[in-house]
Amino acid sequence: MEELNLLEKLERVKAPPDFEQKVLSLLSERKEKRCLRVRNLRFSFAGALAVLLVCFIVLNVFVFRGKESLDFSGVEKGVPAGAKRGEKLRERDYLPIIEAVEYSGEIQRPSYESQTIYILEQVSEERLEQIKY
Amino acid sequence: MSMDEQELVRQIQDGDEMAFAKIVNIYKDKIVNYLFQFTGDYQSAVDLSQETFMRVFFKANKYKPIAPFSSWIYTIASNLARTEMKKVHKAPTVSLDDLHNSYSSGAFSENPAQSGITRNIRQSLRALHPRYRIPVILKDMEGFSLEEIAQIMKRPIGTIKARISRGRNYLRRDLEAVLKEEDKDLEKKENSYGRA
Repeated sequence: MEELNLLEKLERVKAPPDFEQKVLSLLSERKEKRCLRVRNLRFSFAGALAVLLVCFIVLNVFVFRGKESLDFSGVEKGVPAGAKRGEKLRERDYLPIIEAVEYSGEIQRPSYESQTIYILEQVSEERLEQIKY
Repeated sequence: MSMDEQELVRQIQDGDEMAFAKIVNIYKDKIVNYLFQFTGDYQSAVDLSQETFMRVFFKANKYKPIAPFSSWIYTIASNLARTEMKKVHKAPTVSLDDLHNSYSSGAFSENPAQSGITRNIRQSLRALHPRYRIPVILKDMEGFSLEEIAQIMKRPIGTIKARISRGRNYLRRDLEAVLKEEDKDLEKKENSYGRA
């Protein structure tokens, strides 16, 4: 353990006399830099937000509004599809969907079941009228 | 940790520069000496110490009083020193000229006279891997307990014990090798003078 005794005897150094002043001046420098960095960060953040807002407005006004969607509901035979499209879009902001329903498979032929009586009822959710047979 | 120090740290957390100046005054010599033993270069030890105190001020809010303040400040110093060593990325050898310069400029050292064995032991210490060097310095030069070193290095006490033991062994082996080489050189010189 000879080297351990020597380790203890190794010379000890001290901080230079102006160490404290240097540390304090360094501290004030760092503080100033930090303030500056925070201010710059705040400005750049605000700038980025402003740019995003402008982009959003520009896209909304000039790009998304300018696009026309397809509408085939009012298309007549022989009339080009795009002819009345602009007018229709100005009038309505919704797209009517017409769905074709096939009922032929639902009803069986009466010839095969001659005894069957079919009662056709009017089904409506809007009116509540008495059904007469 | 004394109540005074705890109070000072609390004041630093509130941004009090006077409290910070007191902490600097208490720890400046200890930290500079520790970093000098670690790096072997007085100027870089002073620079790293300044950076350590900057970290203490700006990261004071991260300090939790579960560990002594001294452990925390030594942890910062050790981490900074290790990072600096990685940056420098060179073999930890010191030329005699550098040693002479650092000692001659070291008006702040208590004992500027350096014997050959002291120089050798310092050189061997610098050749140690930081993994072993830090606990050896903290234990044998700074006088920390194993628990405190474990807190500083954030390792279990068993690991610290093993590292200190291994570090001492490496140091002894290196020192013996250096001494043997010096003896051989001395013999050669004596023989050459004898012939002349």
